[in-house]
Amino acid sequence: MAAIGRLSQKLLKSVTLTQTRQLSAAVAAHGEQAAKTWKILSFVVALPGVAVCMLNMYLRAQQHQHEQPEFVPYSHLRIRSKRFPWGDGTKSLFHNPHVNALPDGYEHHE
Amino acid sequence: MAHQAHAYHMVDPSPWPLTGAIAALLMTSGLAIWFHFHSTTLMTLGLILLLLTMYQWWRDIIREGTFQGHHTPPVQKGLRYGMILFITSEVFFFLGFFWAFYHSSLAPTPELGGCWPPTGITPLDPFEVPLLNTAVLLASGVTVTWAHHSIMEGERKQAIQSLALTILLGLYFTALQAMEYYEAPFTIADGVYGSTFFVATGFHGLHVIIGSTFLAVCLLRQIQYHFTSEHHFGFEAAAWYWHFVDVVWLFLYVSIYWWGS
Repeated sequence: MAAIGRLSQKLLKSVTLTQTRQLSAAVAAHGEQAAKTWKILSFVVALPGVAVCMLNMYLRAQQHQHEQPEFVPYSHLRIRSKRFPWGDGTKSLFHNPHVNALPDGYEHHE
Repeated sequence: MAHQAHAYHMVDPSPWPLTGAIAALLMTSGLAIWFHFHSTTLMTLGLILLLLTMYQWWRDIIREGTFQGHHTPPVQKGLRYGMILFITSEVFFFLGFFWAFYHSSLAPTPELGGCWPPTGITPLDPFEVPLLNTAVLLASGVTVTWAHHSIMEGERKQAIQSLALTILLGLYFTALQAMEYYEAPFTIADGVYGSTFFVATGFHGLHVIIGSTFLAVCLLRQIQYHFTSEHHFGFEAAAWYWHFVDVVWLFLYVSIYWWGS
Protein backbone atom coordinates (compact mmCIF):
# COMPACT_ATOMS: atom_id res chain seq x y z
CA MET A 1 0.00 0.00 0.00
CA ALA A 2 2.73 2.40 1.06
CA ALA A 3 4.83 1.20 -1.89
CA ILE A 4 2.15 2.33 -4.35
CA GLY A 5 2.11 5.76 -2.73
CA ARG A 6 5.91 6.02 -3.00
CA LEU A 7 5.87 4.83 -6.64
CA SER A 8 3.22 7.37 -7.67
CA GLN A 9 5.20 10.11 -5.87
CA LYS A 10 8.35 9.14 -7.82
CA LEU A 11 6.41 9.14 -11.12
CA LEU A 12 4.95 12.56 -10.42
CA LYS A 13 8.40 13.93 -9.55
CA SER A 14 9.98 12.54 -12.73
CA VAL A 15 7.09 13.92 -14.85
CA THR A 16 7.38 17.43 -13.37
CA LEU A 17 11.17 17.23 -13.72
CA THR A 18 10.80 16.32 -17.41
CA GLN A 19 8.27 19.11 -17.89
CA THR A 20 10.61 21.63 -16.27
CA ARG A 21 13.48 20.40 -18.45
CA GLN A 22 11.27 20.64 -21.56
CA LEU A 23 10.08 24.12 -20.54
CA SER A 24 13.64 25.40 -20.12
CA ALA A 25 14.60 23.80 -23.43
CA ALA A 26 11.71 25.63 -25.10
CA VAL A 27 12.84 28.89 -23.53
CA ALA A 28 16.38 28.31 -24.73
CA ALA A 29 15.04 27.49 -28.19
CA HIS A 30 13.42 30.89 -28.34
CA GLY A 31 16.68 32.78 -28.09
CA GLU A 32 19.65 33.05 -30.44
CA GLN A 33 20.95 29.63 -29.35
CA ALA A 34 17.92 27.88 -30.86
CA ALA A 35 19.72 26.21 -33.77
CA LYS A 36 22.21 24.70 -31.36
CA THR A 37 19.41 23.39 -29.12
CA TRP A 38 17.62 21.68 -32.00
CA LYS A 39 20.90 20.31 -33.33
CA ILE A 40 21.53 18.70 -29.95
CA LEU A 41 17.96 17.36 -29.84
CA SER A 42 18.45 15.90 -33.31
CA PHE A 43 21.62 13.97 -32.47
CA VAL A 44 20.88 13.06 -28.84
CA VAL A 45 17.14 12.29 -28.92
CA ALA A 46 15.72 12.04 -32.43
CA LEU A 47 18.32 9.98 -34.27
CA PRO A 48 19.07 7.63 -31.32
CA GLY A 49 15.29 7.08 -31.10
CA VAL A 50 15.33 5.97 -34.71
CA ALA A 51 18.34 3.73 -34.00
CA VAL A 52 16.57 2.09 -31.05
CA CYS A 53 13.56 1.33 -33.23
CA MET A 54 15.83 -0.10 -35.92
CA LEU A 55 17.45 -2.36 -33.33
CA ASN A 56 14.05 -3.41 -32.02
CA MET A 57 13.03 -4.36 -35.54
CA TYR A 58 16.18 -6.35 -36.19
CA LEU A 59 15.72 -8.35 -32.97
CA ARG A 60 12.02 -9.00 -33.60
CA ALA A 61 12.64 -10.04 -37.21
CA GLN A 62 15.14 -12.65 -36.02
CA GLN A 63 12.53 -14.15 -33.67
CA HIS A 64 9.97 -14.92 -36.36
CA GLN A 65 10.90 -15.80 -39.93
CA HIS A 66 8.19 -15.32 -42.54
CA GLU A 67 5.53 -18.02 -42.32
CA GLN A 68 3.03 -18.20 -45.14
CA PRO A 69 -0.48 -17.50 -43.76
CA GLU A 70 -2.92 -20.39 -44.23
CA PHE A 71 -5.21 -20.05 -47.28
CA VAL A 72 -8.97 -20.07 -46.64
CA PRO A 73 -11.13 -19.10 -49.67
CA TYR A 74 -13.16 -16.43 -47.83
CA SER A 75 -15.61 -14.61 -50.09
CA HIS A 76 -15.01 -11.24 -48.39
CA LEU A 77 -11.30 -11.26 -49.27
CA ARG A 78 -9.34 -11.28 -52.53
CA ILE A 79 -12.16 -9.45 -54.28
CA ARG A 80 -11.93 -9.22 -58.08
CA SER A 81 -15.07 -7.35 -59.20
CA LYS A 82 -12.98 -5.80 -61.98
CA ARG A 83 -9.57 -6.87 -63.24
CA PHE A 84 -6.57 -4.69 -62.38
CA PRO A 85 -5.55 -2.63 -65.47
CA TRP A 86 -2.05 -4.22 -65.60
CA GLY A 87 -0.60 -7.61 -66.40
CA ASP A 88 -3.19 -10.38 -66.37
CA GLY A 89 -5.38 -8.30 -64.06
CA THR A 90 -5.30 -10.75 -61.16
CA LYS A 91 -2.40 -9.37 -59.13
CA SER A 92 -2.41 -6.22 -56.98
CA LEU A 93 0.23 -3.53 -57.48
CA PHE A 94 2.52 -4.76 -54.70
CA HIS A 95 1.76 -8.45 -55.22
CA ASN A 96 4.06 -10.76 -53.27
CA PRO A 97 3.61 -14.40 -54.37
CA HIS A 98 4.93 -15.64 -51.02
CA VAL A 99 2.31 -13.98 -48.82
CA ASN A 100 -0.45 -12.81 -51.19
CA ALA A 101 -2.76 -15.58 -52.36
CA LEU A 102 -4.85 -15.21 -55.51
CA PRO A 103 -8.60 -15.91 -55.26
CA ASP A 104 -7.95 -19.62 -55.96
CA GLY A 105 -4.98 -19.96 -53.64
CA TYR A 106 -1.25 -19.37 -53.60
CA GLU A 107 0.60 -19.54 -56.91
CA HIS A 108 2.77 -22.65 -57.13
CA HIS A 109 6.15 -20.92 -57.01
CA GLU A 110 7.62 -22.60 -53.97
CA MET B 1 9.42 54.00 -65.97
CA ALA B 2 6.10 52.83 -64.42
CA HIS B 3 5.77 52.64 -60.63
CA GLN B 4 3.03 51.09 -58.52
CA ALA B 5 1.67 53.13 -55.62
CA HIS B 6 0.89 50.05 -53.50
CA ALA B 7 2.71 47.08 -51.96
CA TYR B 8 0.74 44.36 -53.69
CA HIS B 9 1.72 42.07 -56.55
CA MET B 10 -0.26 42.45 -59.79
CA VAL B 11 0.86 39.24 -61.46
CA ASP B 12 1.67 39.26 -65.20
CA PRO B 13 -0.54 37.11 -67.49
CA SER B 14 0.56 33.49 -67.35
CA PRO B 15 -0.33 30.35 -69.33
CA TRP B 16 0.34 27.95 -66.46
CA PRO B 17 -3.13 27.96 -64.85
CA LEU B 18 -4.56 26.93 -68.25
CA THR B 19 -1.97 24.20 -68.86
CA GLY B 20 -2.55 22.98 -65.30
CA ALA B 21 -6.29 22.73 -65.88
CA ILE B 22 -5.73 20.91 -69.18
CA ALA B 23 -3.33 18.54 -67.43
CA ALA B 24 -5.98 17.79 -64.79
CA LEU B 25 -8.53 17.05 -67.49
CA LEU B 26 -6.14 14.80 -69.43
CA MET B 27 -5.09 12.89 -66.31
CA THR B 28 -8.62 12.21 -65.08
CA SER B 29 -10.08 11.24 -68.43
CA GLY B 30 -6.84 9.38 -69.17
CA LEU B 31 -7.32 7.35 -66.00
CA ALA B 32 -10.82 6.37 -67.15
CA ILE B 33 -9.48 5.47 -70.62
CA TRP B 34 -6.78 3.33 -69.01
CA PHE B 35 -9.24 1.46 -66.84
CA HIS B 36 -11.69 0.74 -69.66
CA PHE B 37 -9.67 0.71 -72.88
CA HIS B 38 -6.14 -0.25 -71.66
CA SER B 39 -4.35 2.74 -73.25
CA THR B 40 -2.07 4.90 -71.10
CA THR B 41 -1.36 7.58 -73.72
CA LEU B 42 -3.80 10.25 -72.53
CA MET B 43 -2.90 9.82 -68.88
CA THR B 44 0.85 9.97 -69.62
CA LEU B 45 0.33 13.13 -71.68
CA GLY B 46 -1.56 14.67 -68.77
CA LEU B 47 1.21 13.70 -66.35
CA ILE B 48 3.92 15.27 -68.52
CA LEU B 49 1.88 18.45 -68.89
CA LEU B 50 1.36 18.52 -65.10
CA LEU B 51 5.09 18.23 -64.42
CA LEU B 52 5.88 20.97 -66.95
CA THR B 53 3.20 23.22 -65.43
CA MET B 54 4.48 22.75 -61.88
CA TYR B 55 8.09 23.35 -62.87
CA GLN B 56 7.40 26.51 -64.84
CA TRP B 57 4.77 28.01 -62.54
CA TRP B 58 6.88 27.66 -59.41
CA ARG B 59 10.02 28.76 -61.30
CA ASP B 60 8.13 31.95 -62.21
CA ILE B 61 7.08 32.50 -58.58
CA ILE B 62 10.70 32.16 -57.46
CA ARG B 63 11.73 34.67 -60.12
CA GLU B 64 9.02 37.11 -59.04
CA GLY B 65 9.74 36.78 -55.31
CA THR B 66 13.45 36.13 -54.89
CA PHE B 67 14.83 37.97 -57.90
CA GLN B 68 12.31 40.73 -58.68
CA GLY B 69 11.31 41.65 -55.12
CA HIS B 70 7.55 41.39 -55.58
CA HIS B 71 7.05 39.49 -52.28
CA THR B 72 6.66 42.47 -49.92
CA PRO B 73 5.37 41.83 -46.36
CA PRO B 74 1.67 42.11 -47.29
CA VAL B 75 2.22 39.81 -50.27
CA GLN B 76 4.01 37.32 -48.04
CA LYS B 77 1.11 37.51 -45.59
CA GLY B 78 -1.22 36.51 -48.41
CA LEU B 79 1.03 33.60 -49.31
CA ARG B 80 0.97 32.47 -45.68
CA TYR B 81 -2.83 32.56 -45.63
CA GLY B 82 -2.81 30.61 -48.87
CA MET B 83 -0.58 27.83 -47.56
CA ILE B 84 -2.55 27.56 -44.32
CA LEU B 85 -5.83 27.31 -46.23
CA PHE B 86 -4.36 24.69 -48.55
CA ILE B 87 -3.11 22.56 -45.68
CA THR B 88 -6.54 22.92 -44.04
CA SER B 89 -8.17 21.57 -47.18
CA GLU B 90 -5.76 18.63 -47.06
CA VAL B 91 -6.78 17.98 -43.46
CA PHE B 92 -10.38 17.64 -44.63
CA PHE B 93 -9.23 15.34 -47.44
CA PHE B 94 -7.71 12.94 -44.92
CA LEU B 95 -10.64 13.37 -42.55
CA GLY B 96 -12.79 11.66 -45.18
CA PHE B 97 -10.59 8.57 -45.25
CA PHE B 98 -10.49 8.39 -41.47
CA TRP B 99 -14.28 8.63 -41.52
CA ALA B 100 -14.42 5.70 -43.92
CA PHE B 101 -12.06 3.69 -41.72
CA TYR B 102 -13.98 4.29 -38.49
CA HIS B 103 -17.33 3.72 -40.23
CA SER B 104 -16.21 0.25 -41.30
CA SER B 105 -14.19 -0.73 -38.25
CA LEU B 106 -16.40 0.41 -35.38
CA ALA B 107 -19.35 -1.74 -36.56
CA PRO B 108 -17.86 -4.61 -38.61
CA THR B 109 -20.52 -6.32 -40.75
CA PRO B 110 -21.39 -10.05 -40.58
CA GLU B 111 -19.75 -10.53 -44.01
CA LEU B 112 -16.40 -9.68 -42.38
CA GLY B 113 -17.02 -12.08 -39.49
CA GLY B 114 -18.42 -9.36 -37.22
CA CYS B 115 -14.94 -8.46 -36.01
CA TRP B 116 -12.07 -6.08 -36.74
CA PRO B 117 -9.63 -6.91 -38.19
CA PRO B 118 -11.93 -9.05 -40.38
CA THR B 119 -11.61 -12.85 -40.35
CA GLY B 120 -8.65 -14.00 -42.39
CA ILE B 121 -6.74 -10.72 -42.14
CA THR B 122 -3.38 -10.77 -40.36
CA PRO B 123 -2.63 -7.11 -39.61
CA LEU B 124 0.92 -5.74 -39.49
CA ASP B 125 2.60 -5.66 -36.08
CA PRO B 126 2.39 -2.01 -34.98
CA PHE B 127 5.60 -2.34 -33.00
CA GLU B 128 7.81 -3.32 -35.93
CA VAL B 129 8.17 -1.22 -39.09
CA PRO B 130 5.24 1.13 -38.28
CA LEU B 131 6.92 2.11 -34.99
CA LEU B 132 10.21 2.71 -36.79
CA ASN B 133 8.34 4.84 -39.33
CA THR B 134 6.88 6.88 -36.48
CA ALA B 135 10.35 7.47 -35.03
CA VAL B 136 11.69 8.43 -38.46
CA LEU B 137 9.00 11.06 -39.07
CA LEU B 138 9.21 12.48 -35.56
CA ALA B 139 12.98 12.73 -35.94
CA SER B 140 12.54 14.52 -39.25
CA GLY B 141 10.29 17.02 -37.48
CA VAL B 142 13.14 17.78 -35.09
CA THR B 143 15.71 18.12 -37.90
CA VAL B 144 13.47 20.43 -39.96
CA THR B 145 13.11 22.67 -36.90
CA TRP B 146 16.91 22.65 -36.58
CA ALA B 147 17.02 23.69 -40.25
CA HIS B 148 14.59 26.56 -39.69
CA HIS B 149 16.56 28.02 -36.80
CA SER B 150 19.78 27.59 -38.74
CA ILE B 151 18.34 29.64 -41.61
CA MET B 152 17.09 32.31 -39.20
CA GLU B 153 20.52 32.54 -37.56
CA GLY B 154 22.39 32.68 -40.85
CA GLU B 155 24.08 29.33 -40.22
CA ARG B 156 24.45 28.31 -43.85
CA LYS B 157 26.31 25.03 -43.42
CA GLN B 158 24.07 23.81 -40.60
CA ALA B 159 20.98 24.71 -42.60
CA ILE B 160 22.19 22.61 -45.51
CA GLN B 161 23.12 19.68 -43.26
CA SER B 162 19.86 19.64 -41.30
CA LEU B 163 17.72 20.07 -44.42
CA ALA B 164 19.56 17.22 -46.15
CA LEU B 165 19.10 15.03 -43.06
CA THR B 166 15.39 15.78 -43.05
CA ILE B 167 15.07 14.75 -46.68
CA LEU B 168 17.06 11.56 -46.05
CA LEU B 169 14.70 10.64 -43.23
CA GLY B 170 11.76 11.27 -45.55
CA LEU B 171 13.27 9.00 -48.19
CA TYR B 172 13.97 6.35 -45.53
CA PHE B 173 10.28 6.45 -44.52
CA THR B 174 9.21 6.04 -48.15
CA ALA B 175 11.56 3.10 -48.66
CA LEU B 176 10.34 1.41 -45.47
CA GLN B 177 6.70 1.87 -46.48
CA ALA B 178 7.33 0.50 -49.95
CA MET B 179 8.91 -2.58 -48.38
CA GLU B 180 5.96 -2.92 -45.99
CA TYR B 181 3.53 -2.71 -48.92
CA TYR B 182 5.36 -5.56 -50.63
CA GLU B 183 5.65 -7.71 -47.50
CA ALA B 184 2.04 -7.22 -46.33
CA PRO B 185 0.00 -10.44 -46.24
CA PHE B 186 -3.09 -8.50 -47.37
CA THR B 187 -3.77 -6.41 -50.48
CA ILE B 188 -6.02 -3.51 -51.46
CA ALA B 189 -8.49 -6.07 -52.80
CA ASP B 190 -8.99 -7.68 -49.40
CA GLY B 191 -12.36 -6.16 -48.63
CA VAL B 192 -12.91 -2.96 -46.73
CA TYR B 193 -9.83 -3.58 -44.55
CA GLY B 194 -7.57 -3.52 -47.58
CA SER B 195 -9.37 -0.56 -49.12
CA THR B 196 -9.22 1.65 -46.03
CA PHE B 197 -5.65 0.64 -45.20
CA PHE B 198 -4.09 1.20 -48.62
CA VAL B 199 -6.08 4.27 -49.64
CA ALA B 200 -5.37 6.10 -46.36
CA THR B 201 -1.72 5.08 -46.05
CA GLY B 202 -1.24 5.34 -49.81
CA PHE B 203 -2.36 8.96 -49.99
CA HIS B 204 -0.24 9.66 -46.95
CA GLY B 205 2.79 8.11 -48.67
CA LEU B 206 2.12 10.27 -51.72
CA HIS B 207 2.11 13.32 -49.46
CA VAL B 208 5.43 12.22 -47.94
CA ILE B 209 6.90 12.07 -51.44
CA ILE B 210 5.44 15.51 -52.26
CA GLY B 211 6.75 16.93 -48.99
CA SER B 212 10.21 15.45 -49.51
CA THR B 213 10.30 16.94 -53.01
CA PHE B 214 9.26 20.35 -51.65
CA LEU B 215 12.06 20.14 -49.06
CA ALA B 216 14.54 19.07 -51.74
CA VAL B 217 13.67 22.14 -53.80
CA CYS B 218 14.25 24.23 -50.65
CA LEU B 219 17.64 22.56 -50.22
CA LEU B 220 18.64 23.50 -53.75
CA ARG B 221 17.44 27.06 -53.17
CA GLN B 222 19.28 27.32 -49.85
CA ILE B 223 22.48 26.18 -51.57
CA GLN B 224 21.93 28.84 -54.22
CA TYR B 225 21.54 31.63 -51.63
CA HIS B 226 17.84 32.28 -52.28
CA PHE B 227 16.92 32.47 -48.58
CA THR B 228 17.80 35.26 -46.15
CA SER B 229 17.57 35.06 -42.39
CA GLU B 230 14.50 37.33 -42.50
CA HIS B 231 12.79 36.10 -45.67
CA HIS B 232 12.48 32.41 -46.45
CA PHE B 233 8.79 31.74 -46.80
CA GLY B 234 9.25 28.93 -49.32
CA PHE B 235 11.10 26.99 -46.64
CA GLU B 236 8.49 27.81 -43.98
CA ALA B 237 5.71 26.55 -46.26
CA ALA B 238 7.65 23.32 -46.84
CA ALA B 239 8.22 22.91 -43.10
CA TRP B 240 4.51 23.47 -42.32
CA TYR B 241 3.59 20.89 -44.95
CA TRP B 242 6.11 18.46 -43.51
CA HIS B 243 4.73 18.82 -39.98
CA PHE B 244 1.23 18.26 -41.38
CA VAL B 245 2.43 15.01 -43.04
CA ASP B 246 3.94 13.95 -39.72
CA VAL B 247 0.71 14.63 -37.80
CA VAL B 248 -1.38 12.70 -40.34
CA TRP B 249 0.97 9.74 -39.88
CA LEU B 250 0.52 9.89 -36.08
CA PHE B 251 -3.26 9.67 -36.53
CA LEU B 252 -2.84 6.84 -39.06
CA TYR B 253 -0.52 4.98 -36.71
CA VAL B 254 -2.79 5.25 -33.67
CA SER B 255 -6.04 4.55 -35.58
CA ILE B 256 -5.25 2.03 -38.30
CA TYR B 257 -2.03 0.37 -37.21
CA TRP B 258 -2.47 0.27 -33.45
CA TRP B 259 -6.18 0.43 -32.54
CA GLY B 260 -7.14 -1.36 -35.75
CA SER B 261 -4.93 -4.40 -35.13
